[in-house]
Amino acid sequence: MNIVRNHVLISIDAGTLMSGARAVEDALVKEIVKQGLDKEVSVLETGSIGITGRGVILVVYPEGIYYADVTPDDVPELVEEHLLKGRPLTRLILTETPKRTIITKEKTGLLKEQPRIVLKNCGFIDPENIDEYIAAGGYEGIAKVLQTMTSEDVVAEIKSSGLLGRGGAGFPTGMKWDFAIKTPGDEKFVICNADEGEPGTFKDRLILEGDPHKLIEGMLIAGYAIHGTRGFVYIRGEYSLSIERIEKAILDARAYGLLGKNILESNFSFDIVVMKGAGAYVCGEETALIESLEGKRGHPRNKPPFPINAGLWGKPTLVNNVETLANISEIIRNGAEWYKGYGTEKCSGTKVFTILGHVATPGLVETEMGTTLKDIIFEYGGGIKNGKTFKGALVGGAAGAFLGPDMLNVKMDFVNLKEYSAALGSGAILVMNEDTDMVDMLKSVLHFFKHESCGHCVPCRLGTARLVELIDDIAASKAKKEDIDQLLEITRVMKDSSFCPLGQSVTLPVSSALKYFKNEFMSRVTS
Amino acid sequence: MTKEKTIQITIDNKTIDARPNQTILQAAREYQIYIPSLCAMEHLSSYGACRLCVVEVDGLRGFPTSCTTPVEEGMVIRTDTAEVKGLRQEVLKLLLSEHPASCLFCTEQDECKQYMGTIRKVGATTGCRYCPNDHRCELQQIAENIGLTETSYPVYYRNFPVEKYDPFYDRDYNLCILCGRCVRVCNNVRLNGTLSFKQRGRVTTIGPAFDRSHIDAGCEFCGACVTACPTGALSVKVSKWYGRPEGQVATTCNYCSAGCRLILQTTKTDVIDALPDYDSAVEHGIICVKGRFGITEYVHSPLRYGTPKEMTPAGYNDISWEEAIAKAAGKLSGLKPDDCLIVVSPQLLTEDLFVAQQFIRQVTGSEEVASSFIFDLDGDAASFINLALASEPFETIEKAQGILAVGFDSTYGYSPIGVKAKQAAQAGASLMSLNSFESNLDLLSKIAFVVNSSRWADVLDLTMSRMSKGKAEKRFADLVEMWGSDLNKTCETFSCSSHNVLIVGPGIIDSPDRGKILRSIERMKNEYSWKVVVAHQYTNLAGMFAMGACPGIKPGEMIKEASADKAVVLKAELIHIDLRKKRKLIYLIGDASFDSLPECEFLIYQNALPPQCSRQPDLILPVSLFTEASGTVISAEGRVLQVKEAVAPYMDSKPDWWILKSIAEKMGKGKMKFNDVSSIQGEIKKIIKGFPAVKKRIEFKEIEVKGNVKTHGKGKPAAWKSSYRGIPLGEVVSGIKVIELKGG
Repeated sequence: MNIVRNHVLISIDAGTLMSGARAVEDALVKEIVKQGLDKEVSVLETGSIGITGRGVILVVYPEGIYYADVTPDDVPELVEEHLLKGRPLTRLILTETPKRTIITKEKTGLLKEQPRIVLKNCGFIDPENIDEYIAAGGYEGIAKVLQTMTSEDVVAEIKSSGLLGRGGAGFPTGMKWDFAIKTPGDEKFVICNADEGEPGTFKDRLILEGDPHKLIEGMLIAGYAIHGTRGFVYIRGEYSLSIERIEKAILDARAYGLLGKNILESNFSFDIVVMKGAGAYVCGEETALIESLEGKRGHPRNKPPFPINAGLWGKPTLVNNVETLANISEIIRNGAEWYKGYGTEKCSGTKVFTILGHVATPGLVETEMGTTLKDIIFEYGGGIKNGKTFKGALVGGAAGAFLGPDMLNVKMDFVNLKEYSAALGSGAILVMNEDTDMVDMLKSVLHFFKHESCGHCVPCRLGTARLVELIDDIAASKAKKEDIDQLLEITRVMKDSSFCPLGQSVTLPVSSALKYFKNEFMSRVTS
Repeated sequence: MTKEKTIQITIDNKTIDARPNQTILQAAREYQIYIPSLCAMEHLSSYGACRLCVVEVDGLRGFPTSCTTPVEEGMVIRTDTAEVKGLRQEVLKLLLSEHPASCLFCTEQDECKQYMGTIRKVGATTGCRYCPNDHRCELQQIAENIGLTETSYPVYYRNFPVEKYDPFYDRDYNLCILCGRCVRVCNNVRLNGTLSFKQRGRVTTIGPAFDRSHIDAGCEFCGACVTACPTGALSVKVSKWYGRPEGQVATTCNYCSAGCRLILQTTKTDVIDALPDYDSAVEHGIICVKGRFGITEYVHSPLRYGTPKEMTPAGYNDISWEEAIAKAAGKLSGLKPDDCLIVVSPQLLTEDLFVAQQFIRQVTGSEEVASSFIFDLDGDAASFINLALASEPFETIEKAQGILAVGFDSTYGYSPIGVKAKQAAQAGASLMSLNSFESNLDLLSKIAFVVNSSRWADVLDLTMSRMSKGKAEKRFADLVEMWGSDLNKTCETFSCSSHNVLIVGPGIIDSPDRGKILRSIERMKNEYSWKVVVAHQYTNLAGMFAMGACPGIKPGEMIKEASADKAVVLKAELIHIDLRKKRKLIYLIGDASFDSLPECEFLIYQNALPPQCSRQPDLILPVSLFTEASGTVISAEGRVLQVKEAVAPYMDSKPDWWILKSIAEKMGKGKMKFNDVSSIQGEIKKIIKGFPAVKKRIEFKEIEVKGNVKTHGKGKPAAWKSSYRGIPLGEVVSGIKVIELKGG
């Protein structure tokens, strides 16, 4: 085996691809050959390293130096300076670099390390290479399960880990699995909900792009636990790279006997199919997702029956989010007790947050449950961009809540946020600085809901339309004081009477915006 | 029947028994506890769109909708708390924010009702009657029940163009509330799939995918969607402005032999609409376009005869009934039996048929009770009759494992049979269709043979040969080449099944090769134990044979009392009607088969609408139609079904039986002392026990023909179109003309 001096990792995800990652990669390889370094330096593709909005990103190991906004024109200089002469090219170094991976242990600056469970391999291994996943301990979980555990053991382990579903609602995963195992049925399905539609959320995409095998392993374990026969990954059609990578991962896993009949020579057989969504927000709701998966219009279904009793084609169906499933193999490998070592008492483990908006380093952060909003924004997110002050954050996507400056010390987990009438939701944190117009913010949120309402039930279909009319008037300073009350009244009716969580959750952004930023609204209306 | 387990629930402090699979709303409705709802409808799956049926349930969070929440033992439900009422009002306000609501919230409303209730093409204010559903609108009713008297939103008008380009009904989606009833009834009850939701959110509308017209999208115009619509969004073209009906009458459709039950909605003089009866045991509300939309226009056709008419050199003269009866009696007197031909329609009521056969036998002394079905079927009449009269009930199809439909299509007729076949196919039965054009069963069929009817017998023979694993004959070579492997698979399921059903449609009557086809069908029935269901257009064919309104068959002779009853032997010459011999007089009773008739000196035409022919009748006797008469029909299943007078006879028209008995009385012949329908029924009671209240299905003996049947040599009949009393529906009902043109 050839021992190389330097590894250059190039992050290939949807974001960097759009910034021209392939061109940079080609230039890099050519330049390295040109400089005669091809025996000493190797260029490797990896998934997202968790930083967005900074163009093409390279990491050079063993130094662990991050370069951002790299263009093909920079490549000759970079290769010559860093790889040939050993002098890091300071003008491209990402100075605000948070410590994002577990690769090197030493502290390199102001920021604290991220405890990575879900994103352990992201930005480190080549996601398209199953061997790298296995080398990083992958598929040990399913092997352990098949050899040493019964289905009940698995469910008990997940239950005792305290893992809460990461899709947004925070329902205990173990309990869901327990229902699934107790539902009689000769055929049961596992669906991975990868229809990530919550605005500002892209964690599932980066998990899929960075470590698709982790998801497959999670689904395998879930399938084994509930006696499932088939798995489906329902994925957003726009996530083309995710689709490509998960499909390749499935083919590779199948070739290794990790999917299909008699997995690892056990009696367990399971296979996974990838299905693409067509871009409806409501299809992230599990019953609408199932309808869509069956080839029908994406309308939510009546509950009960819940999918766990009668889901896809009327069979018992377990629907779990990508991040939830990505936690499974680590819990199985390391045990529930280890997992409970992270997070809070009621909310164990870590959470992948997507920070965006007016922060210095937008991107993906995995931290323990219960980390304060302040820590996430100011330590991991590098604080507010351009030295401005923090005004508020929209937490949990469009269906989440606005939080004001006095909420900076709130602990971010499913249980705690509920006490403040907020929700962790998908874990998106949209940070806003002092210049942000909150009325405009709420306006764009409400326009989003109107556009995404499926039209099935009256309160959501027509409520969102009326809300948009009202907020448009308020934003244009054409409204009266009573219109604000009506805004709240409509969301209350929608919360009490909408068919599915889409309409029910509109109340969160509206009431929270009015709670923390009421003055801004009042200044736009006439009494 | 085992008694179902009940569970106890409490609604508004009242404890009631519910069944385990019921929703709260269903249980409440059974006990007449009112919960408002617009999207829930009996016979349709829960949908939960209107959110008006919210209630409070102890132990459940928030406000669950009663139409989607299943009952549980000990459930405590409150339907009328202040919170629930308030929530309903708010939801209804939202709903009405995009539904024109001037009929609800208008300060001028009272005056408007009083003075402006007209539609006039004059330069006067006539009130805003843009909604055809005013006063029969569920939404209006709900608004009243919920107690909404004002709204907090301006009403947004969506400005969709009103869709009027399809036949039978108009669609104004500005009035649509997206309750989804029409979509569900079209897809889940009718298994048709024309309607779906288009777009999403607030711009959602309803219609066929890809913006096709209904007719192009395969709409069967069964009107189930119109019946289901709670607002004025869907409205029947001919009756939309009639307002609230004044009465309704349950009756039986007379357009084919299926015997669908209908609910006729009426004003004092008019039949304004015909609705399905979902509780009917015959067709379960699955009626076709003819029954749903073909009645009003037919019975109120402007062409209808109102008085008797006599041909004079200067054209037709209106005459009185006395004159008309005297004229007919005079012409019929002194004729030898061979000189006159009396043709009786199989679409008359049983009572009329009974009187008609008495008239022919007692007044003219002839045995020649001619009928259009004998003309159509010619030499094959007996074998068709044997098949049709022994038709299995429609429910036989429900549990079939194999179904073969020959010459059958249920797009514009025979819906109860077609939908049952589709249901069975969806449940896993192997369906095979055989037709000369693409039928509406093809989509669900394992194999759809589209071949000329001259090959149907071959396909049937090939199927039988495959079922018994016989060798394929040479004449099947091309069929095997096209459908061989599919056919093998399907025949495999057929031969493994003990319950195969053959659906015989009217297509075989049209086929010049029906003799061959009928013989193959007989073999399938006798040698391969296929059960046969026959769909045909001769509404009261069974009544005809029960009443003996057929040459050589006495009243009641055909009715089977014991299974060992022997076949009725018929001499071949009896069922041969010579259509070449010139007659002195022809008397058409409810028939208009002019193409087949021989020449004659005098033609009496007893019907409701003028015939389409060059031979003008010499005497016209106007009859009342089935919406204006009472009596019975005996359906293809052998059920005795009631026909009830919904409105008074049109102008001076009279029932068939009255005209016949009056002529006989005038001639002083026969013993027909009938004053009303019940006196005729009293006479029929002697033949059929308990008539007309017969619960059991009537079974028939077989006919055995002795001797060779001569054909009347008039060639093949014209391709059959749906008709009533010899008049094609397409000539009278504008929409039927449109769909038949398209279907042709």
